[in-house]
Amino acid sequence: MPSRPPVRPPGAPVRPSATRGRSPWRGYVYVLPAFLVYFAFAVLPALHTAYLSLFEWDGVTLGDWVGLGNYQEILQDSVLRRSVFNALVLVVFFSFVPIVLGLAMTGLLARYRRPGMGAYRFLFMLPQVIPLVAVGVTWRWLYGDDGLVNQTFRAVGLDGVTRAWLGDFGAALIAVGLVGTWVLSGLCMMLFLSGVQKVDPSLYEAARIDGAGPVREFVSVTLPHLRGELAVAMTVTTVAALASFDIVYVTTNGGPGEQTTVPGLLVYRLAFSEGKVGLAAALAVVLGCLILAIVYLINRLSRSES
Amino acid sequence: MESTHRVRRRIAGAACAVALALPLTACDALTPGSTTAVSGPRSVPSSTAVPDGDVTLRLQFADAPLMVDALIAAFEKDHPGISVEPQYKTFSDYVQNLKLTMTSDTAPDIAQYAVGMTDLAADGHILDLAPYREAYGWDDAIPPVSLDQLTAGQTSEATGGRALFGVPAGLSMTGIYYNKELAEKAGIDGPPKTLAEFEDQLAAAKDAGLTPLGVGALDSGGLHLWAALLNQTMPTDDYWDWVNGTKGATIENRAGITASALVVEWGRKGYYNESANGTGQLDSTAQFTKGDSVFLINGNWAAGQLATAMGDNVGFFPMPGEDATDPTVASGFSVSYAVSSRTEHPEAAGVFLDFLTSPEAGQIISDNGFLPPNPEAVAKPEGVLADIAEGHRRAVADDGITTFPDFAAPAMLDRLRSGVQKLIADRVEPADYLDSLQDEWEEHHAE
Repeated sequence: MPSRPPVRPPGAPVRPSATRGRSPWRGYVYVLPAFLVYFAFAVLPALHTAYLSLFEWDGVTLGDWVGLGNYQEILQDSVLRRSVFNALVLVVFFSFVPIVLGLAMTGLLARYRRPGMGAYRFLFMLPQVIPLVAVGVTWRWLYGDDGLVNQTFRAVGLDGVTRAWLGDFGAALIAVGLVGTWVLSGLCMMLFLSGVQKVDPSLYEAARIDGAGPVREFVSVTLPHLRGELAVAMTVTTVAALASFDIVYVTTNGGPGEQTTVPGLLVYRLAFSEGKVGLAAALAVVLGCLILAIVYLINRLSRSES
Repeated sequence: MESTHRVRRRIAGAACAVALALPLTACDALTPGSTTAVSGPRSVPSSTAVPDGDVTLRLQFADAPLMVDALIAAFEKDHPGISVEPQYKTFSDYVQNLKLTMTSDTAPDIAQYAVGMTDLAADGHILDLAPYREAYGWDDAIPPVSLDQLTAGQTSEATGGRALFGVPAGLSMTGIYYNKELAEKAGIDGPPKTLAEFEDQLAAAKDAGLTPLGVGALDSGGLHLWAALLNQTMPTDDYWDWVNGTKGATIENRAGITASALVVEWGRKGYYNESANGTGQLDSTAQFTKGDSVFLINGNWAAGQLATAMGDNVGFFPMPGEDATDPTVASGFSVSYAVSSRTEHPEAAGVFLDFLTSPEAGQIISDNGFLPPNPEAVAKPEGVLADIAEGHRRAVADDGITTFPDFAAPAMLDRLRSGVQKLIADRVEPADYLDSLQDEWEEHHAE
């Protein structure tokens, strides 16, 4: 740690007042510039949002102080509770499925070095590179009446299955979730692949000499070494699900009904179109706290296992 | 050391996550709203001088891109020193961001008048145009009644008369388009006289194996359908009271139930395109041009595109009333333009707005399916545009142009959209739907 006093050669002149008074703080001085930037652009806006959540404010005229009234309103709102439920369903598609898929692909790709790995990585990483708005527009076409999804079903004779996926009350949330799966699976696989490369090859050799098959090898060697990457993947994808906005906004805008309404979308709507900035800020604070709690839980679990 | 490091990291992580989750940017002052007050002038100057030098005006709008492009082209030809840069947004995007856009430092010079402008006018974010009204003599160019809709209920500080916060470039209304070829195939011989007759036509189209009615309910198409039906069942005065927030007004009545139940019934009978809830208005219009449905609910803002794509094969009629003798009632509003208080070129903006009142602009407006503010000044339109002009003339004569239902409250657009989606999918009782609208109405008009 930089705050430890510097080692001094014996007999060197000592200026106790200067050294003793300053040195514990010197480290903080070095951190100060970064801290100021961080404070101004990350901490302050967050605090300001929390502060705004105590007002009833339309975004233009002077606000009225309402204390915790906005939080009370949030707890009573049925649309809001529905949106939190939807976000939790999205966690399955944004986090659980991509991680399972990522692990499966890692198991298939990591065992041996194959030619063309770079091409695979490029392909699976591609969804991450495309802006989410473009992803949303593309999937809106794919899910459309005459989109590729329905064309495919018709081509194999499943005409009865076709529907406007994003406009169907039963299918819309799953359809939106699968877009997230498509985007995030590649990311998970990349994370896991890079994690696997750190594993000592002799471990695999040893496992094979002991007669382990591909599955045994994956469970006993690969998986334990990916714990760190798993925690990262879970954190990133869960936050993506709970704070999701762009994909939902572009594909369904929360519809049909409230089937795909998520908290992030409501924050945006309340603040910018309905003129309820205080309520939006309160919802954002609640959403932020919910995300923090879940991320904390994930980190806690992944640590206690180690 | 390890534990403090971890704590610090955790705090940092916490703050970071909060900041990421909350994309609300910081404002400067601590009390919300205290810095957004506008210090500049609240009204335009009264001179009509054309500024020297090159000026660029940014125009943000949500309706009729073809018309706006044509107007700009004609305007720039007449005024080489002023160029206008159009910024098109879809209607829902436009309305959602309007307040944010108009209170930001990068506000466009000219913006289409929409719900929310009343609040912006009250706080001085858009300029009072009353001095121009006198200086340019707009009362002679267009009927004063269409200007008097745009006062935001205020008196002008500059002239002492009525304030003016927009200049209309055309009037809009919603109604039903029909594909003449397909209609003939289904044995439909012309626009219906009554709502019951229209229902018979929808049934006939269904029997002929066609999709009867195209609805783009993913965004605003559904609420146009609902409002068009409500216009037939609800007395116009009651509807206006509700939209204007008059004390005691309600939508929870027999008229509301009848209209909402009709939306459900048509869904049950399979009259809509199967994917109505997953189709946007633009997409439903595109599908209609390809012959995917016999009828289409949309507004006259789509007429320019439809006339171009379908020629003589498309016709238009306002939603018919319950009786043949009922007045013609349709939702509509003027497509008008307001001027931002943050503009550096109020004179150039005035020149552009004045151009909108000219016969030349009126002709362009008419060619694009809008009723020009002064219909006498333009040539008689043809085809579907003539249908619209005739429908609009009848509605105006019957005092039957009502505004859109989402003007009732800022949050109403979302309530209406998701509510009508549920009606179409038969997922909500009409009474519960109306109750959710009335809740929103009461919350907004509480004080």
